[in-house]
Amino acid sequence: MKMADAINQHHSLLTVLPRLGIPLGFGEKSVEQLCDEHRVSLPLFLLIARVYTEDSYYPSIDELRQCPMADILQYLLLSHRDYLDHKLPHIEHHLHALLEPMDSKYRTLIANFYTQFKSDLGEHFRYEEEVIFPYLRQTLRDGDVANPQRCTFNLQHDDIEDTLNDLTNLLLKYIPSDVSSDERIDMLLDTYALSHDIGKHAMMEDRILLPYIQFLESQSHD
Amino acid sequence: MTKVAIAEPSPILRVGLAQLLREFPDVEVVFSTDNLGALNSRINALKPDILILNPLLFEYARRATLRAEFDQLPNMRLVGLVTSYIEAQHQKQFAGIIELNDDPQRIKSTLNQVENTLQSDDDESDTDPLSDREKEVLVCLSKGLKNNEIADTLNISVHTVITHRKNIVRKTGIKSVAALTVYAILNNLIEEKDII
Repeated sequence: MKMADAINQHHSLLTVLPRLGIPLGFGEKSVEQLCDEHRVSLPLFLLIARVYTEDSYYPSIDELRQCPMADILQYLLLSHRDYLDHKLPHIEHHLHALLEPMDSKYRTLIANFYTQFKSDLGEHFRYEEEVIFPYLRQTLRDGDVANPQRCTFNLQHDDIEDTLNDLTNLLLKYIPSDVSSDERIDMLLDTYALSHDIGKHAMMEDRILLPYIQFLESQSHD
Repeated sequence: MTKVAIAEPSPILRVGLAQLLREFPDVEVVFSTDNLGALNSRINALKPDILILNPLLFEYARRATLRAEFDQLPNMRLVGLVTSYIEAQHQKQFAGIIELNDDPQRIKSTLNQVENTLQSDDDESDTDPLSDREKEVLVCLSKGLKNNEIADTLNISVHTVITHRKNIVRKTGIKSVAALTVYAILNNLIEEKDII
């Protein structure tokens, strides 16, 4: 399949490409050619593409075993950076412009809510990067689990998605109508896109990362 | 788009029904399985609107309380896939019934009817503004009170507090206390200096 056709059909995949190191401007090249050219594992690309396009997709262990897990970690890590360094500041920029004409007490209130969300999200990513990712990396390297945690990790993704959803509803329903509607619509479109992307990101961690850790733990006791 | 899950032990029926449903433009089959274990482990995450379920998956004693098996999903509708005789009182728990010799048109209209009951429920309750009692509970929440403290303050039971909280979340679409506090201040239900 041509990469351009895949992206045109499922434009949410657009955010995936830079995280895999595939630049735009690829002309008529196929998914396979581009993966080959940029040293991206094809099974990994297909796995991510299916998570993005099928809500009910749960990959089997056999599918996961075909993918280089270290690359998935790298992908997730770059996603975290993308959210924190680009997506959130971008939304924040809209938010400040939007709140400009509002009474200062409301402005501070909503800005604080956003800051809290940002710091909770950063905290969540830090936990994954400092606890879960190293655990998986070590398990992959040693081929054995010294102290299996029996996968007691709970990533609490629902909380993050709920807060983002709360923010969207405040913006859509309850901020008074006298603020700039262009800015407000831009910000809503960005938050919907971010919600979707973070939802898929959470699916990757819940349906790929954790099951894979569980699989490794079960292997190491055979 | 209506999200449908299928739980049916026979592979011929399960795959056949899923195939048939895929022809319907507004239906998405999110999951299908032949066993209860897989159903229970996935269903809470997938939150289908409709579960098409063969009651034979449950042993006889549990069939009378099928609905209660899915307590965590109060908005999900059950549709029975009936392949052999089941008792009328068991049938009553389903919002609709699909039988073996139903044609696609009939299955579609059964699902549409069930879908309509879904929507009308939502309309009735969601568009009401917050009641005075719900506003009082919201103000207490914003002040950082816990359920039992709210119950004491308003002189109602903890159970009632929880019901009010569920209604607040359902109507506003806002779940976290932090965001509800923002809502309360934006709507002048509470002054900023009152919050902790």
